[in-house]
This record gives sequence, structure tokens and C-alpha cells, in this order.
Amino acid sequence: MIGRRNLSIGVRTLLALALVILAGFPVFWMINTAMTPVGDLYANNQRIVPDFSRTLNIFQVLVSDSPFLRWLGNSALVAGGTTMLSLLLACLAAYALSRYKFVGKGLMTFGFFATQMLPEALLIVPLYSMFMTLGLLNELYGLVLVNTAFAMPVAVFLLKSAMDTVPYEIEESARVDGCNALTILQVMFIPLIAPSLAAAAVITFFDGWNEYLFATTFIHDTANWVASTGLASFIGEFTTPLDMVFSGAIVFTIPAAIFFLLMQRKIVAGLTAGSVKG
Amino acid sequence: MASLTFDALSKSYGANTVISDFSATVDDKEFLVLLGPSGCGKSTMLRMVAGLTDISSGTLKFGDDVVNTLTPKQRNIAFVFQSYALYPHMTVRANIAFPLIMDNFRWWYHLPFVGAVMRSRLLKRPDIKAKIERTAEMLELTDYLQRRPKALSGGQRQRVAVARSIIREPAIYLFDEPLSNLDAKLRMQMRAEISALHARVQKTFVYVTHDQVEAMTMGTRIIVMNEGVVQQYGTPAEIYSAPANEFVARFIGSPPMNIFAATVRDGLLYVGDVPVQNSGGWAASVVALGLQTVSLGVRAEKIGLDSPGGDLLSIEAHTLVVEHLGAETIVGVKTGQVGATVDVGVGASRGLHYARIAGEEQFTTNSGCRITFASDAVHLFDPETGKRLEH
Repeated sequence: MIGRRNLSIGVRTLLALALVILAGFPVFWMINTAMTPVGDLYANNQRIVPDFSRTLNIFQVLVSDSPFLRWLGNSALVAGGTTMLSLLLACLAAYALSRYKFVGKGLMTFGFFATQMLPEALLIVPLYSMFMTLGLLNELYGLVLVNTAFAMPVAVFLLKSAMDTVPYEIEESARVDGCNALTILQVMFIPLIAPSLAAAAVITFFDGWNEYLFATTFIHDTANWVASTGLASFIGEFTTPLDMVFSGAIVFTIPAAIFFLLMQRKIVAGLTAGSVKG
Repeated sequence: MASLTFDALSKSYGANTVISDFSATVDDKEFLVLLGPSGCGKSTMLRMVAGLTDISSGTLKFGDDVVNTLTPKQRNIAFVFQSYALYPHMTVRANIAFPLIMDNFRWWYHLPFVGAVMRSRLLKRPDIKAKIERTAEMLELTDYLQRRPKALSGGQRQRVAVARSIIREPAIYLFDEPLSNLDAKLRMQMRAEISALHARVQKTFVYVTHDQVEAMTMGTRIIVMNEGVVQQYGTPAEIYSAPANEFVARFIGSPPMNIFAATVRDGLLYVGDVPVQNSGGWAASVVALGLQTVSLGVRAEKIGLDSPGGDLLSIEAHTLVVEHLGAETIVGVKTGQVGATVDVGVGASRGLHYARIAGEEQFTTNSGCRITFASDAVHLFDPETGKRLEH
């Protein structure tokens, strides 16, 4: 029996290890490529262990040869703005959908779904025309708006599901204690659905951080580029400095990874909350 | 002054009427219990008093003020929920203080972070702090002020809910089955605590329960409800000793009141083929009402088994259930000889009459006996309408 159990544990460990390698290998390859001079990339004796002695050098080159830090800052503004605006609007919408009965509720829910059905590429021409009319082209807050339009519906569904689990008695008790709808949302619901809020923050942040199509189409001024556009601009017609592209990719990944790690504990707490009787 | 006046209050959900024409007046400082089986509309009634459910028609007054359209906050009430509805993300201290915090809430507390800081500062304000501590001391919660609700026992949570309700000194206290989640021992303790609270704060209490023991022990007035209609309104003693109808008679009292179907024959009442002694007067009044049959109700403690004190009736019966409770013995009997009925399932309890015998009497199941009771123990009800017949 013990032998079979050990075998089972061994197989599961191997399977988990294989999945970790599968997920982690692109990251490893990104680091390895960034640390390898372009000339060596196509050599037969490809390095398996990254040459970390080049670390400082490659980042220096990245920062001095391109306004990458500025682009990174722009990305942070766009992703941060998208996250905040999406969560603000999603909280209000989710609360209304979760707690109120009103005419057109079903239609509104379908409307949120519908935004997810349409591919971004389909909307880019009408959006471009609208942005031009409204003077939003080349503006970072224009990107915040368009990203929010796509990220918010996902957050609405996530938050609505979480709000549905908040007992009505808590809301009613708060009303007896003198809360209005906004106070109930702010003082009761938001702390109670914090884990889902963290998950929604991660999703909306990554939506804003990784977005490429709108950023490339709507922002013409190099100084206003976001990091995803900047990173793609390294790829030239004739030459591509792969070490620079990948070092840029590392720098581009780090803030997002930090944001995820900050939110991760909250999300895990949310996944396990309520699983045992309180 | 917080008297309560219900004037033809109704509640409907579409075509479904939950409460119809509810009228009653509750004096200031009364402990009113709304009692009835599940789904009778008592919680809906309480929620209408609280302002959590809209009133479909009729008028509700607190003192002389019509409150139909006021918000729960404007009504100055406190509400203790069945599930306590404590705020799980707040400490006991913050839970108790929450009504006071909301009394001092300003619009700019809605600003992110500012609100949290201001609420935390309000918790430390000397007058609020003193009130929290006084209330916590009254309900023996001082040692738990820093805990979260999930770290408290059921009884402690219940006390936190009560503490939160009394801190703002409301005019009316509303309780929605607050003890139903507690075990029997704790329930008894909390009953005493809530009664003591009523005596101390001297305010109007409205308490909803389906538990007649809670109603009888705590209430100064009881409204018995069934299917959204008031069955009887009176003191616990009135409701027990003179039930307005068969429903109240059977709902109040444990075991429920025994009902015997009696018919008028030869100027006397008969239960089955057994004549009820000295029942000529009753039979006459029953006939005068145009009836030929009547329901004859006797409380379990008024029934004797083989008791020589019973002067009115002596029916052959046999025991089916014997419950030894120590101080008393509950005996379930059916009329007829031993073996006359062999029922299982629902049939086993149908037609069962109960006797509550003081002390530890040695009864055995499936043994013959005779049911007896005295004339002063009898209640008469119209078998059609269920209404009490005065005799």
C-alpha cells in the first residue's frame, strides 16, 4: 500500500514539475536571450546558463538608447488608470446588478457580455474615428478609457458574483444603522468582497498593461508610447537587437509580476474564505 | 412615547396577500410578541415596522406620527436579526459603535481612505468610547471588544447584536427570532437576559418568534398570527386560558390542547358513544347557535388518566406514547381498547390525545386506561369556524 502511495505521489510530483517547466521555460529563455550577445544567439554553442555578468550592461543600453523608462511610466499610468476607473465603475454596476430590480437589467447584463463578444480589431476603425472627433488621439487617458471599456465588464461579472454572496441581512442591518446605498457599498460590500476586488484589479491591470493594438493605433507621438508599443518598435525591418528586446521584456514583466504578487495573498484568501463554517 | 398603532395594515406581493387588515395598538414600554407558525407573515410585519419592507396599504404610527414612508434610520428603531447580521470585517468594538459612527457620518467620509481614518478616529472619541464600554460592560462583552465576530460563540454574537441595537438608545427594539440559532440552554439564558434588558431600558419591544415558550415567558402582550391574519391579541394568561379559536388553542401549549369532537344527542353532549355528564346547558347553547356538533378542548394538564377527580367524562383509551421528563410525564393516548388502532407513520400521531401528569408516573405503552377531566377544564369551539363558544 505504502509503495503504491509513494508511486502516486512521485507521478504527481513529476507531472507538476513538467507543468512548471512548461510554464517557466519561456521566462527562462527570455532571461537567457537577454543575457546573450546577439552574435552568440545563432551560434552552435548556445548557452544554457545565462551570462549574468552582462546584466548591468544590457539594462544600461536599454535605458540610454531608448526612452524605455518613460514608456514604462506611460504603461503604469495607463494600467493604473484602467484599473482604478474599471474598479470604480464595476463596483457601482455590480452593486446595482446584484441588489436592485430595474427595467432593462437583463438587457444591461447582455450589453456587458456583448462587449466581450466583439473582437478589438473590429472596433478599431469606428473607435479611431470617435477618438479623432473627441480629440482623444495621442492621449494616454484616451487609452485608459478604451481599455476600461473592455476590462470593466469582466470586473463587473466577477464583482457581481461576489456581491451576490453578501447576506441581505448585513445590508439591511446597515440601513437600520443609518447607511445609504453608497455607504453600504463602501463600508460593507467593498471590504467583504476584497479578495474578488483584488482578482478584478489583477485582471484589469494586466488588460491595461499588456494592451498593444489600441496603444499602437491611437498613440502616434513616441514620447506617449506605452512599453508594449515601445518594445515592438525595437523590431526593425532589417535588424532586431534581440538582447535589447528581451531585456526590455524583462523590465516590462517585472512591475506586472510585482503587482500580481502584491494581490496574490488577497486572492488566495478570497478563494478559501467561506469554505469552512465560521 | 413610542406606542405602536397598526391600522388596517396589509402587505401583498402581486396577487399574493401576506398580511391582510392587521389592526392593533401596542402601548409604550410593552413587550409585544408576534407569534405564529412559519410563513404566517410575522417577520414581514416586523420588517414593515422597521421600514425594511414597504407597506402595501394601511397606516403605521409610532406615537402620533405616521411612519409609512420613513427610512429605517428615521424611525429610530433597532433591529436584531435572526442571523445577528454582525459585520464580519469589523471588530466587536466597531460593530457595537457602528450606529454611533453613522450618526456622525459626513459626506466627505465617502472619499477613499479619508472615511476609514475618520471612522477610526470616531471610535476613539471619548464620548463614543465611553458609550461602547458602558454597553459592553452591561452585556459582559468587555473582554471581547477586539475580537472579530467569527471568534465569538453563538451567545456572544447574539449579545453583540443586542449591544449594537441598544447603543443608540432607540425608541423601539425589534427582534426577529433572535434565539432560534442557539441551543436550548443558551436560549433559556438569553430569554432571561432580553427580559432583563426590557425591564432596564423601559422601551417598546416587538419580538417575533414561532416558539410559544419564548412568547409566554417574555411577552407582556402577544399577537398570535396565522396566514397573515391576527388570531388573538392579549396577555399571555388570556391567550392561554381563553384562546379565541381552535388554532390558538392548539398552537399555544405543549403538548397542544386536546380536541374531542362532540355531538348533541338527547339534550347532552356525546364524545363518541360516551355521554358527557352535566353537559345539558352546553348542549342547549350549542343547539341555540344552530349547531349539532362542537369541538371540545381540554388542556393536557387537565386530563387525568384513571383519575378519580374527573367528574365529567370517562372514556376508554389506551396508551401509545410515554415520555418521562422527570418532573412530569407526557402520555399519548388514543380512545378505544388496546389494539383497537395499529397505526404507523403520520397515522400514529393522528387522533392522539395527550395528558401531562405531574411527577414520574409509571405508565407503560399499550396499556388500557380511562381519560377523565373536570367541567372547569373544558373549552368549546365551533367546528366549522374554529371560534370559541362562550359557555
